[in-house]
Amino acid sequence: MSRVTNVDFSAINRCVRCGTCRSVCPVFKEVGWESAGARGRILTAKGILEGRKIDSSALQSLSTCTTCGICAEICPAGIDPVGAVEEARGFMSNQGFALPEHSILKEKVRATGNIFGDLGSRQGWLRNSLSQFKQQSRRGPSAGRKVDYIYFVGCLESYRYPETSAKTFNLLSRFGVGLLEDEGCCGSPLIRTGFDATGLIDHNLKQITASGAHSVIASCAGCYATLKKYYPADFGILSISEFLAGKISDLGLKPLDMTVTYHDPCHLGRRNKIYDPPRKVIKAICDLEEMKARRGQSRCCGGGGGVRAGHKDLSMNLARKRLGDVPEGVDCIVTSCPLCVRNLKDAGGNAVDLIDLVDVALKPTLDLKPLNKGECALRRSL
Amino acid sequence: MSLLEDLQKIIDDKNRVSTSPSELYCYSLDASQIEGMPDVVVRPLSTEEVSKILKLAYHQKISVTARGAGTGLAGGAVPLKGGIVLDMSAMKRVIEVDVANLQAEVEPGLVRDDFNQALKPYGFFYPPDPGSSAMCTIGGMIANNASGMRCIKYGTTKAYVLDLEVVLADGTVINTGSRVLKSSAGYDLTRLMTGSEGTLGVITRARLKITPLPKSRRLILTAFRSAEDAGRAVVRVLSSGITPSACEILDRTTINVLKQCDKRLVLPDGDVILFEVDGTEASTKEEAKRIAKVCTPTAISISMASSQREMEETWAARKLVGASISRLQPEKSRVYVGEDVGVPIKRIPEILEKVQEISDDIGLPAMKFGHVGDGNLHVALFIDVTKNDQRDKLMEAADRIHVAALDLGGTVASEHGIGRARAQYMRRQHGPALDVMRAIKRALDPIGILNPGKLDLELE
Repeated sequence: MSRVTNVDFSAINRCVRCGTCRSVCPVFKEVGWESAGARGRILTAKGILEGRKIDSSALQSLSTCTTCGICAEICPAGIDPVGAVEEARGFMSNQGFALPEHSILKEKVRATGNIFGDLGSRQGWLRNSLSQFKQQSRRGPSAGRKVDYIYFVGCLESYRYPETSAKTFNLLSRFGVGLLEDEGCCGSPLIRTGFDATGLIDHNLKQITASGAHSVIASCAGCYATLKKYYPADFGILSISEFLAGKISDLGLKPLDMTVTYHDPCHLGRRNKIYDPPRKVIKAICDLEEMKARRGQSRCCGGGGGVRAGHKDLSMNLARKRLGDVPEGVDCIVTSCPLCVRNLKDAGGNAVDLIDLVDVALKPTLDLKPLNKGECALRRSL
Repeated sequence: MSLLEDLQKIIDDKNRVSTSPSELYCYSLDASQIEGMPDVVVRPLSTEEVSKILKLAYHQKISVTARGAGTGLAGGAVPLKGGIVLDMSAMKRVIEVDVANLQAEVEPGLVRDDFNQALKPYGFFYPPDPGSSAMCTIGGMIANNASGMRCIKYGTTKAYVLDLEVVLADGTVINTGSRVLKSSAGYDLTRLMTGSEGTLGVITRARLKITPLPKSRRLILTAFRSAEDAGRAVVRVLSSGITPSACEILDRTTINVLKQCDKRLVLPDGDVILFEVDGTEASTKEEAKRIAKVCTPTAISISMASSQREMEETWAARKLVGASISRLQPEKSRVYVGEDVGVPIKRIPEILEKVQEISDDIGLPAMKFGHVGDGNLHVALFIDVTKNDQRDKLMEAADRIHVAALDLGGTVASEHGIGRARAQYMRRQHGPALDVMRAIKRALDPIGILNPGKLDLELE
């Protein structure tokens, strides 16, 4: 369900206010006020759902959650505070309360089908691609042909990381992957911020069904989590890292003499337990040195849950904290989510998408030789 | 000028003073069932700020309630009469680690586990270890004389406090002790403040004793046919001259909950006592053997944690057991009432029996666990909080558990404090000594602005 119609109080009632979440909530650690932690948000949600007046302070409390879900990992009562936050956000938006930034985001998505309000083509990235991409795209559902897989590109990769989209599609095209003719936003930004995403979901769903594809491959952690949770499960959903991890022997990857670290995107890792596939792909290419906080304990990049859109300073502070987990001497931070890439980059981190790493490892020689340790091949190539 | 404007003149940072409705609501509760709405919440950063705030409050007769992490289980940090809540969690520095003098100085908002992280490189630790160690603050621990699993060997918070910087009701700043490890100079104000729950002053710094980390720990898991048998085994072990570093009971209900929550946990069936010993490799080996020998005649199983990891996982599960019932029965919530009674060690079997009788009689299931080695039993009662009749039963059960502990010569609060939730038992537990406490309260807080409504300190 993408819209709150019947609010489930059970999670809220089960919270015993023990405060264990204070020890992990990244926003609480940054802000320090009780309302900025998971326990405070559950209380705020309880208050408004029981009839307390909704005001800007409630909005502030609930809108600062990045939905990273680290609180759910540790909660002794087994509550998922993120679910409660999203329900409460939905409840508030139904009453007409939302951050202006989130309302603008919603309007943009509803008007244009993407989070940027960009009126340009969502497949503009194909224009600058190799001809084989174009040919491949015509073999997709847009040309009325059946494909096994659909590559769900997502707003960020479509409009902000066209080269990464092109690389991804180039790679996936070997395996019979097509595109949706008129892909729209998956709905994640609206659901996270409490708005109805039914229209977007229906729009994409019709096309996925018509494509005949048995699986959808998402390269964005937010898209993946949304497809998995909010789209009916009559087709498979794969993250790009899962797909690639299953095809390593077919990829022909060349080892690179470099060491990277991996940032677990919250919606891929904690929310969906996809920890090993991206690591398997990385280790097939180069050395991996883990971050201080990783896998289930990984710190949020600060970009999710509408926090980047609604609370930019907070978002950047969280990203800088995350950069503090990066081991010294690694060549770059690899991750599997364009939003994480964007936020970590904006905070000064050398973050790249897994696909960018794979792409370099696929190129036979390029201009990257010799690849000495400490010399960031990716930085030069991107 | 309004209170908010007055406070903003002292604090000069709008981000550290709040009257936002949601913030106030969040500070109106802790983990207990007690509620009280503050008028304003302030997050001070220095003793000077706290002193100025108390001077202001004193002159304007405004209540001041200090709060750490709000993990209290008795309403100690809930502002029953409104006024100012001082959220001390922003004052969280480790001021000094003085290994040569076996002590460290910290601010009260420092989280207990963060303190121990800071001590680890020195090979030292601060032993009091409540289940809330990951989030509770040193200030809150001192205010409640908190303890935890290892206090059977290491003692409670009061054994570690050497000196407190305290801001009194009128804003005066005093130090209650010094750097010395012992002193016989006058009244022991440090001990007076420890456990006073913010009713006599606001702690702004603490000098604490620290202890070398043990080289070795061993965990012995013993299981018995009944909780009472388990309790009797504890008495025998302790009276045989062994001082374990932890001695925890987990009754069979608790064991079942833990096993279902985490299938990987290696726990025996039955009513279980976890004995931990620490020291050197040789001493822990010897003591573990002795514990096993003492328990052998009545235990149905005795085993030893096979690895450091198994030991850590068992303790981690134990620490979080309190609220875990909701994982199995989502409609049920743990409600913290009657959860902290203590009795003389020898009477442990009796309190266990009594609690079971109350649980059966009222028809509310109870998990029984706790630091049984120092006589402290945590009873976890869980109900469907949406049903009023269950809430009534719960309160009745809690009352009977408290009375049972007092009848056995025990206490209604072993380590969680009195707050408001247990204030009604103060007279019964202390008799005329309560009048002495009230006299002390009047002497130090003549107009009653410090955390009013707690510990039954106001005159009837």
